[in-house]
Amino acid sequence: MATRTACQVFRRRFSSAAAALHPSPAEIRSRRNAVFSREQERQRALYPRIEKIEVSLRGPGLDGTLLIMNKGMSTPLSCARHLTEYHVDNSALALVDGELWPLHQPLTDSCTLTLLTFNDSDPTLLNEAYWRSCSALLGQVLETAFKDDYTVELLNTLEIPVTSGAFCCDVVLDPQLDSWTPSPESLRSLTRGAQQLIHHNLAWEPLEVAPSVALEVFSHSRCKQEEVEQKASDSPKGTVMLYRCGDHVLLSGGPLVARTGLCSQYEVTAMHSLGQGPWGHHRRTQGLSLPLQLQAHHTIWRRLRQRAEKLVRTVNISVLYLTQPADRSLSAFQGLLDGCPDNCLLHVLPTP
Amino acid sequence: MRLTLQMLISHGRVARRIGLGPESRIHMLRNILTGLVRHERIETTKVRADEVRFYAEKLIDYAKKGDTDEKAMKMASFWLTEKDLVPKLFKVLAPRFENHSTGYTRMAQIPNRENLDRAQMAVLEYKGNPFPPLYPVKKENELNLINQLLKGYREERARVPNIGTP
Repeated sequence: MATRTACQVFRRRFSSAAAALHPSPAEIRSRRNAVFSREQERQRALYPRIEKIEVSLRGPGLDGTLLIMNKGMSTPLSCARHLTEYHVDNSALALVDGELWPLHQPLTDSCTLTLLTFNDSDPTLLNEAYWRSCSALLGQVLETAFKDDYTVELLNTLEIPVTSGAFCCDVVLDPQLDSWTPSPESLRSLTRGAQQLIHHNLAWEPLEVAPSVALEVFSHSRCKQEEVEQKASDSPKGTVMLYRCGDHVLLSGGPLVARTGLCSQYEVTAMHSLGQGPWGHHRRTQGLSLPLQLQAHHTIWRRLRQRAEKLVRTVNISVLYLTQPADRSLSAFQGLLDGCPDNCLLHVLPTP
Repeated sequence: MRLTLQMLISHGRVARRIGLGPESRIHMLRNILTGLVRHERIETTKVRADEVRFYAEKLIDYAKKGDTDEKAMKMASFWLTEKDLVPKLFKVLAPRFENHSTGYTRMAQIPNRENLDRAQMAVLEYKGNPFPPLYPVKKENELNLINQLLKGYREERARVPNIGTP
């Protein structure tokens, strides 16, 4: 009893010191936002004079159209705005010289542009980008959902194929919440949070930054810093792509779609515990979503949603030791991968 | 004839009056039918297309009897005014419809003629013609997001068949 009052006194006396050590999530968010805006302004200031570039369009009915746009300022979205409202509403991603380009990233050189929609003949790349954006949105919802007393750490999300039925967001919650399991009501409130973001129709603003700036942005999260270092070593140019949605800055493994308003049906389906990991109690939150142009009937949605509640298993393939010569195709090992439990490591080594 | 009121009222009479009289009607339909056999898809007024349809199908039924049959040859030579189409009828159209019992033609209505008469127009064609289809088939894209999700769903159901949902 006496110890309890003593503890309370200590907590009150030293709460300001504690706050200085662990800033509140709102403060962290505003700091990240400030760094992002500063870097964005700096990159925009690199083009003080307006220079023109020629953008030639590709696509059904658009072949050969030439647009004169501004260097470092015009985005594929502004090219779409020169066409029709249909192109603005339906294009989610762009292909610039064969490379995937987020819709809000400025164009730097004369190029060929293709606007990708969900109803193309081959929307595979766009489907993957959409899945990635949905997990990013889920991560944003999780970060803002909990009270300020609890910390939330988003982990590195793996690339999940669309056929697995649900997108995932791996998260490590505060140690105080280790014994908490989410009820259907809490999942529904997370869904409502996501629907709010969709309703606000926020754009995912991309920014290509040097690793040092990214490390500064994520200065309060050791896990994110490791992710930044890993992504910087993986990328050919040594830069890292940051995205900002509203006031939330996030890191992503690939391009995201243009804005949150492109998702229409969005539900957070389940949260599974994956046991203890290097950062704490590892949880996988799963969700299901469909874009505005491809809405499902409620009967189909219900079936897909039931499937999305089951745990999505992923396999980490880092290195595989090949005893046979290097031209042996990996399809021989597919049978191995099918029945594996998640987080099993197969080692792949290239033969010298 | 007795001049009755029933003669002036045509309620329930299904036979159409085309051209100047019954003989003129047959000649007109014969010309349209010849055009149909030559081109396999023609555009005329809706009423004429509807009338020709019956004769077009009957002509194919006659052609199926074979060109050795005397009656079939007489019918073909009467109905086709351009005699180079008689071998086409027996050698191309009749074998095409070997396995069909009825329904050798298709009629589709099109917007009214631009002239002052604003006549209702239709397209009449023999099935199996080489032109693009009149009603284009809309192909569902297998690679879009919802179909990929459903593909994954079906594969999972095939891999782990449920006992049966209650």
